[in-house]
Amino acid sequence: MEFEELADRTLDTAAARGAQYADVRFERVRNERIEVRNGIVSTLSDAASTGYGIRALVDGAWGFAASADLTPTGVDAAAARAVAIARASASIARRPFGAPPERAYTDRFATPVTRDPASVPLGERVALLLEAEKLAHAAPQIAVARAWIDLWLTDKFFFSSIGSKIEQRIRQSGSGLQAMAVGDGDVQTRTFPGDVGLYQSGGWEIVEAARLRENAARIGEEAAALLTAPQCPSGTFDVILGGSQVSLQIHESCGHPAELDRVLGWEANFSGTSFLELDQLDRLEYGSPLVTIVIDNTMPLGMATCGYDDEGTQSGRSDIVRDGVLRGYEMSNDTARSIGRESNACVRAQSWEYVPMIRMCNLSLLPGGTPFEHLFDDVRDGVYMESNRSWSIDDRRLNFQFGCEIGWEIKNGKRGRLLKNPTYAGMTPTFWRSCDAIADELSWFAWGTPNCGKGEPMQTGRTTQAAAPARFRNVQVGVGYGD
Amino acid sequence: MTSAEREAIAKRALAASTADQTEVIVSVSDSALTRFTRGISNQNVAATDRSISVRAIVGGRTGVASTNETSDAAVDAVTARAIALAAFAPADPQQPALPSGGATPTPPGAYVETTAHADPFARAHIADAIVSQAEIAGFWGAGYVATSSSGITIANSAGALASFDGTDAQANVKVIADDSSGFAEHYATDIERIDGHEIGRRAVTKTRDGANPRSVEPGPWTVILEPPAIGELLTYLLSHFSAQSYDEGSSFFSGRLGERFFADGVTIRDDYAHPLAPGMPFDYEAQPKTRPTLVERGAVREIVTDSYYAHKLGRPNTGHALPAPNAWGPQALNVVVDPGSTSADELISQTERGLLISRFWYIRTVDQKRAIVTGMTRDGTFLIDHGRIAGGVRNLRFNQSIVDALAHAVFANDAHRTGGYGYSLVVPTVKIEGFRFTSTTEF
Repeated sequence: MEFEELADRTLDTAAARGAQYADVRFERVRNERIEVRNGIVSTLSDAASTGYGIRALVDGAWGFAASADLTPTGVDAAAARAVAIARASASIARRPFGAPPERAYTDRFATPVTRDPASVPLGERVALLLEAEKLAHAAPQIAVARAWIDLWLTDKFFFSSIGSKIEQRIRQSGSGLQAMAVGDGDVQTRTFPGDVGLYQSGGWEIVEAARLRENAARIGEEAAALLTAPQCPSGTFDVILGGSQVSLQIHESCGHPAELDRVLGWEANFSGTSFLELDQLDRLEYGSPLVTIVIDNTMPLGMATCGYDDEGTQSGRSDIVRDGVLRGYEMSNDTARSIGRESNACVRAQSWEYVPMIRMCNLSLLPGGTPFEHLFDDVRDGVYMESNRSWSIDDRRLNFQFGCEIGWEIKNGKRGRLLKNPTYAGMTPTFWRSCDAIADELSWFAWGTPNCGKGEPMQTGRTTQAAAPARFRNVQVGVGYGD
Repeated sequence: MTSAEREAIAKRALAASTADQTEVIVSVSDSALTRFTRGISNQNVAATDRSISVRAIVGGRTGVASTNETSDAAVDAVTARAIALAAFAPADPQQPALPSGGATPTPPGAYVETTAHADPFARAHIADAIVSQAEIAGFWGAGYVATSSSGITIANSAGALASFDGTDAQANVKVIADDSSGFAEHYATDIERIDGHEIGRRAVTKTRDGANPRSVEPGPWTVILEPPAIGELLTYLLSHFSAQSYDEGSSFFSGRLGERFFADGVTIRDDYAHPLAPGMPFDYEAQPKTRPTLVERGAVREIVTDSYYAHKLGRPNTGHALPAPNAWGPQALNVVVDPGSTSADELISQTERGLLISRFWYIRTVDQKRAIVTGMTRDGTFLIDHGRIAGGVRNLRFNQSIVDALAHAVFANDAHRTGGYGYSLVVPTVKIEGFRFTSTTEF
């Protein structure tokens, strides 16, 4: 396996320096980005990076060191640094916490790819964006239109001192477009698909699936129409959220609070803690019985889909919420052990220079049984909202306020006129207990998030939240614009 | 990697380039962070990296490629890749010539050897001091101690050549009790200026004072925002001062440069050389940074530019380019708010009824044009009653236009460095009337 010789040396050096366990993760990363802005190719970039990160365990405490120096002396120095840092951790620890993983694997994984992006000429990629971006200028009020493509190629090689040798070739792709309309004292934006574009694991087929050209003019027209649309009213209404907004809702109000490191206080000073405390496990009525949310790091198209996480734990599927009741967390080896469970492989690092940490990976709200169009049937007075524009939630993940790019009035079961600046707010368990319908699997979609922030140093994670549109009763609407 | 070694790499790339114009950015970093919580160090990390980024401009077409390999072959390859990429972009008629640079003296105190060579035990020592203060009080703490050194060299085919080496040291803690928490932080370039005991004591005091919090009704309140709170709020306004935002019409003052929006006492500058936060004296195009006054006694005076927007708008290049390519345009990243004449304690004692806020959390823009943002209070929110701190209150959510807030702002005469999200800020405590809270939470 590639990097095996350097890995052996790294692990030997760490052991010689006193590490009771060590692992090293070599990564070769490449990110190609193209962005077109108002007819100009504003970004045409190709960034490549290769390096490795070493975790060392000394007396129940961890140290991590990363370097791009691929020489034998370079890995020796980095391994020694990781061990020294572990000793410093041990010197201030009031108790041991870390322990080596129990299972070793030798395996390979590769993201299924239908069409290798390398087979698509660069000129063709640029032409797609230029055409879509031009179509988004569908009204004179469009001051800025943008269209973009992101391609990530990540080759990972994981070796551990208990014998794991894991090679993974992960491919993720994404694209999107946005139109910004400027009017008299107002700015309105529409984004497609969803609120960040379409991001999934796979190759060029993901870019094609976004159908940017086919939707660009509509997005531009909607942005312009929002300038003269009535303001979303303030008050208590029934709300139907589009699929991408439900995706963000579970990301913020379930995915993050269910991170076990957060529950244990590891993120307290920055990302915060969680209302999903340990004494709530198997007891808390998180949502209505319709609400089942799972972690599935094997699901097709998931941004976090892989064979093994960055601690070398095999991917699988587990419950977070089942039939409305809190049943589990996103876990690492150490955190899972501390509550008497096994890791569910939710550990990722942004890239080689970052320490692996718990991420929500692929989170999924299972589909319900209501066809999308029937969600509206018995809504007498409500608002339908799509595409997130603003998101905020307190540091225990209870009090939230989200805004969307676009809304529509619902009157007597029918979707009516356009509304601008729709927002809604609530408390997480109350909100999810008010969920009385989730659309069926025909509307269920794997929405990817390319830029989830967490940790110190801050890391950007690529996650997926699969979801379908859903209906919520008696929700506070119009916050931020009302009195 | 020394600045001379970085310059050698940059010159090799320039020599290898056949593009009309070429820019090379060579950067190195060595950063370490010791994070702690509940009696363990949960993340104790260090990373070294380097990057070579080449921007090639051929007939108005631009390509950018980067690598972290430093061999001659890798430098030649990344230069060739940037040129090859440029061939696929349509020509940009607005593409200006790259700037030719100028004198870029490093401000005093930007680089401190002790910080650059701090080992993990130096960070652990400070972390232990912070944690000990929480433990003595019967609480627990979560936070970090971080040190970093970085170097950057930028050279281009127009003759610009600039190098900078800097260091940073930071520590913060959230001290947590049963029903309250308190936050303290310190930013510096010199690790020896970070006193773990003092940081711990400050956070413990807030935690102790916030015990048994009461709920207060949302609505308009007089608030005193401590530096971390006003600093984070301002980061959501600064992009409005970008020439890109101004030009596109999304800035709150697009087309209204020179008009007065804020209270008389509000003066905001961008100053890379402030003694509390000395930073890079040139931008990511090697253009020497100016120190513009963005807001002068309430009136919006300047926007920040890079070579592209200076050319497009016919304005001076203020030296605020971000690394190419980027979606944000030029940005003011070293922001200083001028202090007022009243002490922070006096601002509190002159407040009949209000809220003292230590820190905000999860601020997001609700309405771009009106600069309305929402967010939560966090880690130390207190009731002020008849000019005195009267105990902790449960956290609240606000929805507030930052423009309106600064129209009713009085800054104190203190100055503290704060930061986050790529910004460095030096800000005083501030009193704002009529700050709009819309809901509360359970803690």
